[in-house]
Amino acid sequence: MSDKGTNVWSKVNSYYQDYGARAKELKKDGQRFMAYICSFVPLEIIHAAGFIPFRVRGDVHEPITKGDSQMETIACPFMRSCFDLSIKGKYSFCEGIVVPHACDSITRTYSVWKFSLGFPYSHFVNTPHKASDSGREFLKNELEVFRKSLGRFAGKEISNGAIVDAVRLYNENRTKAKALYEFRKQDPPLVSGAEINKLLAVAMSLPVNEANELFDEALADLRQRKTSPLKKAPRIMVAGACLDNVDLIQLIEDSGANMVVDSLCIGTRDYWPLTDETSDPLEALAQRYLEKINCPKTCQNSEGSTFDGDLEQRFGDVGALIKEFKVDGVILYVYKYCDPFGFEVPARKAHLDSLNIPVLCLEDEYSAGTIGRLRTRIQAFLEMRG
Amino acid sequence: MISAGIDIGSAFSKGVIAQNQKTLGSCILPSGGDFRIAAERVKNELIACAGLPQDSGEYVIATGLGAKMATFANETKSELACQARGIFELYPAVRTAVDIGDSYSRAFRIDENGKLARFLMNTKCAGGSARILKKIAKILQVDIDDLGRTAPESETPTEFNTNCAVFAESEAVSRLAEGSKKEDLLAGIYRALASQVSNLAERIGIESDFALVGGGAKHAGLVKAVEEIIGLRIVVPPNPQLCGALGAALIAGETSRIQLN
Repeated sequence: MSDKGTNVWSKVNSYYQDYGARAKELKKDGQRFMAYICSFVPLEIIHAAGFIPFRVRGDVHEPITKGDSQMETIACPFMRSCFDLSIKGKYSFCEGIVVPHACDSITRTYSVWKFSLGFPYSHFVNTPHKASDSGREFLKNELEVFRKSLGRFAGKEISNGAIVDAVRLYNENRTKAKALYEFRKQDPPLVSGAEINKLLAVAMSLPVNEANELFDEALADLRQRKTSPLKKAPRIMVAGACLDNVDLIQLIEDSGANMVVDSLCIGTRDYWPLTDETSDPLEALAQRYLEKINCPKTCQNSEGSTFDGDLEQRFGDVGALIKEFKVDGVILYVYKYCDPFGFEVPARKAHLDSLNIPVLCLEDEYSAGTIGRLRTRIQAFLEMRG
Repeated sequence: MISAGIDIGSAFSKGVIAQNQKTLGSCILPSGGDFRIAAERVKNELIACAGLPQDSGEYVIATGLGAKMATFANETKSELACQARGIFELYPAVRTAVDIGDSYSRAFRIDENGKLARFLMNTKCAGGSARILKKIAKILQVDIDDLGRTAPESETPTEFNTNCAVFAESEAVSRLAEGSKKEDLLAGIYRALASQVSNLAERIGIESDFALVGGGAKHAGLVKAVEEIIGLRIVVPPNPQLCGALGAALIAGETSRIQLN
């Protein structure tokens, strides 16, 4: 590994450990940050308004304390952790918070985010829950509302041209992120899942230009890796909602497996879809955020809506990834109280069973303290494969 | 060739030592507050009861919640795989088993080669584990081993409304305060726990023979209550707590034989 290569991963590690450290530096230079949660906030519009979008992350190592005084524990533990860190001031360098109409835990807590954190700006992006022509039309109008609202706060009009430029930059960003996955197709993969997911997570705390540079450095380092630092081992996919801490991946990889691909946010689900650069920018963004991010919060019906057709529409991408990355087993990881993924476990399991791929379902609390319990299950799952 | 299996559970640490796959001795000790010490003590006890000198070159597999604390072990294996192997050795016809441990209950299916085929653990907390039995013994001020020996004679078992070990404890105290009889209370607790255990088993699909293992299986009242719910006769090894350690010792024997060859 070259010095430069060592540098990029140690930089990723330090950004990961002290999430937001770089943002605080940039803030001193006059840069402005806008916090957001979940993958359904159109980052392109925030960028076009002159803000750096900053993804709110939770922390499985930090007990949820202050947050629970304002947000009911019926919300999923991941959202509660995100909120707990926010109310403890971890993200107070941001000027506002943008929340999408996503799962119930996010949607129903918008007023808590809006009123408890005291940010000067907040906005709720009303993303519809069904992929359809009328839904896209609706979202396009909602994006127009968001553009105007954020423009007023920024004190400038957000032009179509600025959005087009942002779309191009983010497409570049996502193309680079996707390119990282190429190095995981070998057996053993050239890079561990934990390294990749850390990189993908920290990129969402940086200005897109910096994130792109970081991806370039990582890609350059991986291109010149001739031999893998990893051992041959069962190739595992992790599927689930939002995974922004790599402890689970680390545990899987420490238990004698390689995590080679994911069906996650932060991962293939939110990084891979691109925005069409040829059509009207808001129309194209509406299409990306409604139809291309395949999250169970959005109802995806097939043509004519048959049962098998709908299953394929909903999970076909997972099946394709399993083939493409020669996956040996899937770990389905669901947080307690996760409504979109929780309700879907039987259907997802049925789909994976139909592909004859072994699957392990894990329900967890979003807390490093529960890891020991998962270790036994992961170990047994891998032993059964061996 | 000597092999040993060490199973460090949340309440008890268990060990089995074997020579050429024949058991030489076993032990069960409380895990206490330091799993590392518990593991060392089990190892020393095994060597002593087998009448072996220190450093007999035994191949050791550690399992259980505290497996990693048995730092002297050659490798670790999940308690599920070890339990499956242990049960298969004792009762090759068993296809479904539930291990009722102190922190967790685990249901698993064993294939005709003694391999773990499927498993399910109770999630979230100690609800559905044997922890509640320890708490009840404390409330009733009886020895846990005496408690388990015979099933309580009860016409009207007390109803329990909760699955939670902590709530069940306070519920038990309330029932006593209302004048519930000891036998009814016990029968009620066994029934509540049995419904959780059989629920776990039904979720992975019950195929006979059916076995109960782990410390919980030492309670005749619990075994009887599970039998009543699932409608099958249940197989319980003479020392159900040792199954995991036995399986670990046998796997250790197989592994070391392969390595020697």
